[in-house]
Amino acid sequence: MELNIHVENGAIVEKGLQYVMNAWDENAVESSAQLKESKGAETTLVSIGGGDNTDIIRKAYAMGIENGIHIDDPALAKADSFMYAKVLQKVYEKGNYDLVITGKQAQDTDNGQTGIILAEYLKLPCVSNVIAIEVMDDRHIKVSRLGDTGTEIVELELPAVVTVDVTINEPRLPQMRGIMMAKKKAINVMDLAALGMSPDEVGGIAPKSETVEFIAPEKRKSGQKFEGEAAQITAQVVALLANEAKVI
Amino acid sequence: MAKVLVIADIKQCVLKGSTAELLSKAKAIGAQTAVVAIGSHIESLIPGLVNAGSDTQYVADDPALELFSAGPYASCVVDAAKQFGADMVWFGFSESGKAVAPRVAVQLDAACATDITDVMLQGDQVEVKRPAITNKVIQRVKVNSGKLVAVVRAGAFEAAEGITGTENVVKLAPPAPDLKAVIKQIVSEASGDIDLTDANVVISVGRGAKDQAGVDMVKELAIDLNAGFGSSRAMVDAGFMPHYKQVGQTGKIVAPALYMAIGISGSIQHLAGMKGSKVILAVNKDPEAPIFNVADYGIVGDLFEVIPILREELKKIRTPA
Repeated sequence: MELNIHVENGAIVEKGLQYVMNAWDENAVESSAQLKESKGAETTLVSIGGGDNTDIIRKAYAMGIENGIHIDDPALAKADSFMYAKVLQKVYEKGNYDLVITGKQAQDTDNGQTGIILAEYLKLPCVSNVIAIEVMDDRHIKVSRLGDTGTEIVELELPAVVTVDVTINEPRLPQMRGIMMAKKKAINVMDLAALGMSPDEVGGIAPKSETVEFIAPEKRKSGQKFEGEAAQITAQVVALLANEAKVI
Repeated sequence: MAKVLVIADIKQCVLKGSTAELLSKAKAIGAQTAVVAIGSHIESLIPGLVNAGSDTQYVADDPALELFSAGPYASCVVDAAKQFGADMVWFGFSESGKAVAPRVAVQLDAACATDITDVMLQGDQVEVKRPAITNKVIQRVKVNSGKLVAVVRAGAFEAAEGITGTENVVKLAPPAPDLKAVIKQIVSEASGDIDLTDANVVISVGRGAKDQAGVDMVKELAIDLNAGFGSSRAMVDAGFMPHYKQVGQTGKIVAPALYMAIGISGSIQHLAGMKGSKVILAVNKDPEAPIFNVADYGIVGDLFEVIPILREELKKIRTPA
């Protein structure tokens, strides 16, 4: 899919943009739905953001998630990973969960931090970039992680946090019956006060880092394209690689 | 003077080039440098750490650190950062770095930035640049907390010529093991392969190669050039290439001197993984393929016809008569 992003005065122009569920989070939802089906897990989705998130939670319902919590507070409008993790920590502590599954990164910021920071705050074991989850017993899971030199096999004691890669599964497409049911299901909407937190506690008053501006990236200067007889143009390009680019 | 601690990029007991690149950048912004090396039987790497431009070497060398485990690795980095009094902690681009950096940031009460392509230092004020939204925009981020933990994007910095350091080795105590996340084994599919993220030349194959025979044909070219052999997502999904070979936003980020995209149309996700390459050559039979928008040299043609000729022509150049 081609995504057109425009930058004006150091900010991203949001007009015409529609927010959708993050691709990696779809994999996290699918993993949860599979654990519900195979192990009878009770599943809850937490989403932090504005009004658009209602549609995202309904999509998760249609994929099989049972409970939805929507944290919506203007104090979180410019939240960083640490602030999101603080909020999620509070949600976790108010519930009774064995496993937290997040996407390994967000499609927009590509930060890849929130799940790991959450685990650190909760002092829970954590494995990131997970491509398989296997339940061993009530208190242990075995996960596969894509590491630098191969697939790492890690045994985790529950409760634990895992962040998943897109290769872990193929997220299901919601079916009509699920979509209809999802429309009627309630969503537990809370602001920070309802969660029992002040903006100060979340770190909203003094974020560790902040975006100064967004800049349109420099385009690679367009190169030379050769069409015609294969033998001739290939020889031409090889000569350029050797003599002009000097990379061969 | 700012103090930068660089995490040595060690894979299978070999020190990777990113270590010298990060240390060079640290020196270029006027920082004092240290490196932390974590692993088992890595004593022999110490001269390399010095030559890469570090003035202090923190070494955690313990049999328990042979297999990567994020918790104990983070403990070693935090230990070194505290002893050094680091203002910044930089990881090279790796899966282990991405897993450890956020933990270290929490433990040091530092800001965390992943995928950075530049660091600017003015007095005490640190700013970084990083691509976001699949490379559609560059984000300029100001660090408020005084300390920064960062993962540097592959190919962002260059190793300075003639860089060197001073030997001053500090041994770190072995960290406590993570008893709740126990690494059992690493199943390595990649043994003997050329590491994509470290190769001088990377050749990637896409849907244009059609099937296994096509993939094998392109692989011959990679073997000729001693190049890393990568893949588009399509060929991984189709089962022709293993997942760890995928180049793109959801796979490996590479920035070699020469990248050849063979039969790859060039989705934004793929481009996000290779746009930092110095020179890009694309072969595709569709003259409108988006890959040609980023390629320095484009050959419009059928790869089944072009690859054998390309191999012959390259052989001529590499072995002059």
